[in-house]
Amino acid sequence: MNHEEGVKRHCVHHAGVRSASMKDRKYAEGADVCIVGAGAAGGVLAYELAKAGLRVVVIEAGPFWDPQTDFASDELAMRRLGWQETRLVDGKDPLRLGHNNSGRGVGGGTVHFTGVFLRFHESDFCTKTLDGVGEDWPIRYQDLARYYDKIEREIAVSGPAYFPWGAFHGPYPYPVREPISANSQLFREACEKLGIESVVAPLAILSAPFEGRPPCINRGFCNQGCMPNAKYSGLIHHIPKAIAEGAEVLSDCMVTEIRMNGDRVSGVVFSHGGQSYEQRARVVILAGYVIETPRLLLASANSRFPDGLANSSGWVGKGIMPHSSHDVYGRLTDEVRLYKGTPVMALTQHFYETDPNRDFARGYTLIAHGARPVAMAAAIAAEREDGSFLWGEKLRESMLDYNLYARVTLVGEVLPHPDNAVTLSDLKDEYGLPIPKVTFSYQENDRRLIKHAIEQMKRIVEAMGGTPEHVVSDTAHLMGGCRMGKDPRSSVVNEYGQTHDIPNLFIAGASTFVTSGGGNPTNTVMALAARTADKLVEAMSRRDV
Amino acid sequence: MAKQRRYPDYDVWKENDKWDDHTRKIVVKRKAAQVEHQFFDPNQALLLQAIVSQLVNDYRLEVLTFIVQHLDESVASPIGEAQRKVGVPPKQELYRQGLAGVDAESRKRYKSGFLSLKQEEQKAVLEAVSQGEILDRQAWEQLSPVDFFKRLLYDAVSAYYSHPLVWSDIGYGGPAYPRGYVRVEKGLTDPWEAKANEP
Repeated sequence: MNHEEGVKRHCVHHAGVRSASMKDRKYAEGADVCIVGAGAAGGVLAYELAKAGLRVVVIEAGPFWDPQTDFASDELAMRRLGWQETRLVDGKDPLRLGHNNSGRGVGGGTVHFTGVFLRFHESDFCTKTLDGVGEDWPIRYQDLARYYDKIEREIAVSGPAYFPWGAFHGPYPYPVREPISANSQLFREACEKLGIESVVAPLAILSAPFEGRPPCINRGFCNQGCMPNAKYSGLIHHIPKAIAEGAEVLSDCMVTEIRMNGDRVSGVVFSHGGQSYEQRARVVILAGYVIETPRLLLASANSRFPDGLANSSGWVGKGIMPHSSHDVYGRLTDEVRLYKGTPVMALTQHFYETDPNRDFARGYTLIAHGARPVAMAAAIAAEREDGSFLWGEKLRESMLDYNLYARVTLVGEVLPHPDNAVTLSDLKDEYGLPIPKVTFSYQENDRRLIKHAIEQMKRIVEAMGGTPEHVVSDTAHLMGGCRMGKDPRSSVVNEYGQTHDIPNLFIAGASTFVTSGGGNPTNTVMALAARTADKLVEAMSRRDV
Repeated sequence: MAKQRRYPDYDVWKENDKWDDHTRKIVVKRKAAQVEHQFFDPNQALLLQAIVSQLVNDYRLEVLTFIVQHLDESVASPIGEAQRKVGVPPKQELYRQGLAGVDAESRKRYKSGFLSLKQEEQKAVLEAVSQGEILDRQAWEQLSPVDFFKRLLYDAVSAYYSHPLVWSDIGYGGPAYPRGYVRVEKGLTDPWEAKANEP
């Protein structure tokens, strides 16, 4: 439903046209490619495929935002950038969804991500071979390296001259951000004291002007939508470029069904303003993230595919992973002022790789992370790691010291488990679609990793001269649910995102991840999308799909 | 003695002419909150206000009015809840049953509704609800008191720390567009930011 007060309801967008009428559709008669979801993956695909001369339609459930009038410097009001439709959550560690890990509207999650732009390491693609945990990807780092290069160049990622971990050591296309915030300074100084290497974070945030966009002004509201357009999002970069190349974007349009014609997909059905419409296409790409993509596949079941589309393996919806993302808030004697500047400006991957001296496999990234009052207060009140609550006088007194707090955040690898899954519930939403149920429980390895990380975060806070006061239990990002693999019996798509079962149905985005890695996923999402785009352009020109 | 504000002279609202229009419009509404509600009846609204007042440890009517208005709007709204734990009732039921449960617990313990309890008694009732150690099991048959407490605390605290008076209390610089922050490093502040009272 449309629940964003004051947003202009143009739903049809193509070169020279912004219209509130479905009569103005460009590809109503059919397109080459229909992309469901205008987020990190959908934006890259739309641009690359349109540039190659294909007729592309992107269908997005949420609005086409205007940063100047739709975004605000306000936490509470900007929760609307997340997917707010109710999902049921279950398991021992039910996930917080919405603004925490999803996007709704053109640009998807990139509209409110922190812009941290990391590559996965070589080891991330073969955890089974190396550590006997998780599963190997059907590709290796080298298959993705040139796509990481391409995406980072294309959006002018800023970063350090030398990046010490993983296979890529820089330099980044744009110079590192400076100055960095007090919280990031303190983090780096503390790391140095402890002999932990740290860097200024590689960011999809400009350190100098680029394509008419200004460098960051340290407003600090990355999670509420960037207003000066200094931070990358699909909304201001890939989608407008795709439109300029001939693509059509349909916003406020919720895809409700994938249509089949025999063994092939013929298009999708979507709902707009209470009416149903059809979009035919030679190829359909689902880029609706970790919950909506499996949900659509499962909900589109028919007599030929009774368990849902592309689900002969039974893996659709399974193996979803968040990152463990606990926070340690430490109180210092001097002011830190967590609200100032880009929220994340420093990090370390010192603990990223498996270490035989630890009692768990894989690892994590630690991040110096700013916090605004609503996020901090709600978390230290109601999301405490020990399950207790902080309220009344104690909460108010903690928050009176808001400006004295520093914060360190975990981005920890969570291993895939088939019980962590998206399934369909018996409840229906306003479109008559089953409401998804998202089940998640940490496994033993995940818990050990978290315990280790919390100890390190506390050490860092103490090395700042602070006292760790609040440990918050949180998650970030979602991955998996339609994992890629070589074996059609245990994966949903091949290495290019093509479903094993239906040749003209593709899946793009974090849902195809096999493992979660221990760092922010957006760079990998976009690099994979660029790789899929290359493959599709080649295959479609040969009429192979 | 209650802890003092570090920035007694700071008023973030004084900066509002430097904010963008959309942000200003959002924040100014909070300063003039309504007392008419769509979902809660007047008794529920009063009860909710008293509970929230204990949760955030604040008695300023203008702040509490805004919190209750915000809760009322979000409970009444058809906008989704982002997530709802299996077994937890939908938001309207949760609030309706939870408020009734708090009042029932007050009567069970002190033979009197929550509103007429002493501060310490109100705190004791909420403590019991937060721990799930309620005496009136019947009132909580379909709703776990801990689930209710967690949801209410999260929602109330989110609204409380969105009020500009509270931003001023804690020295939060608040909205910063279009001007941004120039001095972000350790020990530096822009001229308009809160300055602590030196002891």
